[in-house]
Amino acid sequence: MNPVALTDFPFLSLVLWLPLAGTLLCLLLRHSPGACRWLSLLTTLAVLLLCVWLFIELPHAAGWLLQEDQPWIPSFGIRYSLSLDGISLLLVTLTALLQVGAVLISWKQRQHPALFYALVLVMETGIIGVFLATDLILFYLFWELMLIPMLFLIGIWGHGNRVYAALKFFFFTLAGSLFMLLALISLYLIHGEQTGVYSFALEALKNTSLTPTTEMLLYLGFMLAFVVKVPLFPFHTWLPDAHTEAPAAGSVDLAGLLLKTGIYGMIRFAFPFFPHAAQQSLPFLAILALIGIFYAAWIAYVQTDIKRVIAYSSVSHMGFVILGLSAWNQLAWEGSLLLMIGHGVTTGALFIMIAMLQDRTGSRDLRVLGGMWKSLPFFSAFFLLFSLASLGLPGLANFAGEILVLLGSFTRFPLLAAFAVAGVVFSAAYMLRLVQGVLWGPLGQLCKIGDKDCLHADLDRREWLLLIPLALLVVWLGLYPAPVLAPLSGPISLLLKGGGLP
Amino acid sequence: MDSRLLFLLILLPLTGGVFNACFGCRLPRALVALLAIGAIVGSFGVTLLCWPLAAEGTQVTLFTWLASAGLKADIGLFFDPLAATMTLMVTGVASLIHIYAAGYMEHEEDQARFFALLNLFVCAMLCIILADNLLLLFLGWEGVGVCSYGLIGFWYAKSENALAGRKAFIVTRIGDLFFTIALLWLFSLLGTVNIAEINQRATELDPVLLTPLVLLLLGGACGKSAQFPLMTWLPDAMAGPTPVSALIHAATMVTAGVYLLCRLFPLVSLSATGMAVIAAVGALTALYAASCAVAQREIKRVLAYSTMSQIGYMFLAVGVGSVAAAIDHLLVHAFFKALLFMGAGALIHLAGGENDIYKMGGLKQKSPLLFWLFLIGILCLAGAPLSGGFFSMAAIVFAAFTRGDGFLACLWGIGVFTAGLTSFYSFRLLYLVFFGSYRGKKTAHRLSPLLIWTLPPLALFGLFGGLFNLPHFYGGHELLGAWLGSTPAKELPLVTELGLLVLMSLFFVAGWLPAHLLYRNFEVEAESSWRRFLLQGWRFDALYEWLVLRPYRFTARFCFIAGDKGLIDGVVEGLGRTLLHWGGYMRQLATGQLSFYLQGFAWGLLLMVGWLLLKAVV
Repeated sequence: MNPVALTDFPFLSLVLWLPLAGTLLCLLLRHSPGACRWLSLLTTLAVLLLCVWLFIELPHAAGWLLQEDQPWIPSFGIRYSLSLDGISLLLVTLTALLQVGAVLISWKQRQHPALFYALVLVMETGIIGVFLATDLILFYLFWELMLIPMLFLIGIWGHGNRVYAALKFFFFTLAGSLFMLLALISLYLIHGEQTGVYSFALEALKNTSLTPTTEMLLYLGFMLAFVVKVPLFPFHTWLPDAHTEAPAAGSVDLAGLLLKTGIYGMIRFAFPFFPHAAQQSLPFLAILALIGIFYAAWIAYVQTDIKRVIAYSSVSHMGFVILGLSAWNQLAWEGSLLLMIGHGVTTGALFIMIAMLQDRTGSRDLRVLGGMWKSLPFFSAFFLLFSLASLGLPGLANFAGEILVLLGSFTRFPLLAAFAVAGVVFSAAYMLRLVQGVLWGPLGQLCKIGDKDCLHADLDRREWLLLIPLALLVVWLGLYPAPVLAPLSGPISLLLKGGGLP
Repeated sequence: MDSRLLFLLILLPLTGGVFNACFGCRLPRALVALLAIGAIVGSFGVTLLCWPLAAEGTQVTLFTWLASAGLKADIGLFFDPLAATMTLMVTGVASLIHIYAAGYMEHEEDQARFFALLNLFVCAMLCIILADNLLLLFLGWEGVGVCSYGLIGFWYAKSENALAGRKAFIVTRIGDLFFTIALLWLFSLLGTVNIAEINQRATELDPVLLTPLVLLLLGGACGKSAQFPLMTWLPDAMAGPTPVSALIHAATMVTAGVYLLCRLFPLVSLSATGMAVIAAVGALTALYAASCAVAQREIKRVLAYSTMSQIGYMFLAVGVGSVAAAIDHLLVHAFFKALLFMGAGALIHLAGGENDIYKMGGLKQKSPLLFWLFLIGILCLAGAPLSGGFFSMAAIVFAAFTRGDGFLACLWGIGVFTAGLTSFYSFRLLYLVFFGSYRGKKTAHRLSPLLIWTLPPLALFGLFGGLFNLPHFYGGHELLGAWLGSTPAKELPLVTELGLLVLMSLFFVAGWLPAHLLYRNFEVEAESSWRRFLLQGWRFDALYEWLVLRPYRFTARFCFIAGDKGLIDGVVEGLGRTLLHWGGYMRQLATGQLSFYLQGFAWGLLLMVGWLLLKAVV
């Protein structure tokens, strides 16, 4: 079908506001949890189908594939403008996919189900909005919108130390974003003074000329918001706490999606706005990324809570992504984005599986779990598959991205890339320790004292339905990533050129 | 012939493995085994069918796996004489081992998992052998690692088994780290990962860079092939079921390192230093492992150390520049070592599940056929004159001798001495197991005929394997060498050649004689600290625990407690507390008294007016 015909219809707004419509309906139907459940599932599925359809139909071009632009607050030059290119297309699709998973894994939610599903859907709107907005105020709006549902998801439905974790998460990210707000208003004013046109539009602000010092300051303001979200060492300590205390859907969204918004912000806004400052910062980014890879992998090795292991593994993987970005070439950037997708799927799947495990055993403690293969063989097989994908086994999702990142960054930072390879050994160390603690060994203490029936319930139909597509996706991304790389290469080469590298 | 047929080689085991993994648990036991065996035998048949394609070297591509700015890695195969020879050996030996495993695992649970992993292993191994680019080779390389991990820990309910699997995976992955760096480096230098292209353009590389590159490749090879210093995982890997040990830890996976060095030989051979290090690593590991084998008590651990030692010889062969000798020894070794392992599995059944050779003995009476078959394996391993092992080992020793500088002469000496040790521990094993009287207490299990009748073909190939590459000296034609296209070995003067042969035979006898005297009528052996040192593999495990593992765990805990909890969270929470503190001060201003607020208002007004006045004046 002709892409021009597509633009006549506001597909982007549809994708963006559909979940919010679901939210409102959920709140209206709050007295029948069953209806809310189905409603949110249908909403997320509809968004997913729409995204997949767009993914198939849209051509692989370099520039924007779809755009919408309406005046919003004309007196300040704020517009409602949404744009979609290959990168945002992939990330929006990933969001839609994981959100279906988040709803399905929370199927048995008993405590305030309507509110829970409503918040999950609001979050979907927030995340999709971040990936689509090209007006800075609109972007900032969605950026903060993501925070609120997550705050409540952790604060209300979380585990033990949930209030501490929720507040820590909120303040860390809010502190970062406030600097971004300051920086973006300054940028707006400077640009307005220079040209006389006051605008928050991405394309317009790119052409602002700045003195090196201002550029660096504003760049740091933007980057602070993004690196906290990624999170880059040493701004990561909110993540393990948030992950550990969050309910399953929250963990899936955090690891699978929220972290990606940080990376997306860098490549969409921070680098194009401030190309010279970005170039100067690359070696530092690379070094911080490398430290993060090791530091987080190291810490993951001594954790006893499964969710914490995965949380730190996320920090480590995001280190690879940033390392790829700092190499600033096509190969590494494609790798970084591919790794983001792969990491979203594998980590999302792992958090989903941890929720299933906790459902059955009531524990996430590696010291008391063990021997699960005996009682839950199918569950264990999936768990092993996703763990292997996470440790970067060739042929599964993460490897394809990782090796591209390494190949790309070796040309720019040979020594750092060589060290980063060692991070792969570390990831094997903590992932296999995790697998050992859950699957192998004698049946854990917990299972001996707990009621036996809970352990003899292997995957049910809903869980099969959830895991099979994820497993297939992990293998597909690992063995034939071409369809995912194809929409990426055009936009990436544009961004690299726009980023001001000679 | 359609060259795309080659993909069946990989697809058959892959399909078998995936099918068994997904549906095996719902199928009857026999069907699971039959499917797995069928897949491998089919693959073997395809190898024979495709054999003519190898002579010219055939390249086929299925689809592009990873392509991005300058990088292009296909799922593509390259079938040349070297790959074809290895494929034939792997599929052939694997077929026999699969059949054997059907008998061996008869009464075990979880057959589907076992056979799925076994099939997937063969698939990954064939990926290594047939890959036309380094990335696909790496896929197989890690694939065999994972299957080996799963199979070593097959009986996962005992934590030691699962731990042994994990150790194997992580230690080999340390080797893979070097291999990956070599891969990245080669790509950044040459802009390609295609093996043929790398070999072709190796001469373009800066000679200064060649040595580190070769050493990195050697590091990768050392991990997979259990060579010094990454050898500690192999003895522990014997925790897996015996067919696994035979297939993975004797015949195929552990030889992947040798294969890698042979595959990239045009590149590897350009660095003289690299070659010397390869030879030295090989010779030292051969000696080290042989010395450890002398003191082992578990039958499979003796064989594990002997495998390590024999692979050391193969590395030595590569290091002295003789690919043909390395591959010849690799093939013959695969046959007789698989034979020995499978024989050992049958013996363990015969001894009622006992694997301590001090508690065996006298098994010759229980199964004479097994004795004769095992004897053939032992003769090959010990390098008895005219057995397959003798010719292949002699070829390596000759090659080392003919290159003949002082350094290689040293390694040659080590090689010859180790041959004596090998003969000693081989016969020690034979005597302890088969001669004397039965020292164990357990009663024999019934032997499935599959456990015996899969051995004779291996015995045959082991015994006559030397004929593949019989040197001209014996009236042979070095068929294998010619097929692989390597330069024939230098002709030595008749006297030297005869002298070397006599020397080798003497060392064989020198090993056999003490074993005969000491262990023919064995009762008990005195404990000694020296023997314990060898038994524990020179205590390398303890050394690594102390040098690597403990600091690793310490750093991990330090990062967590001091770094994350202490420093970063300390700063963040400290910041929060400071703000709260200030907030407390500020709160004291909210007294609720109108007079206080009015006072503040007045002061503020005064300040502002003063400021404005000051500005107006200045």
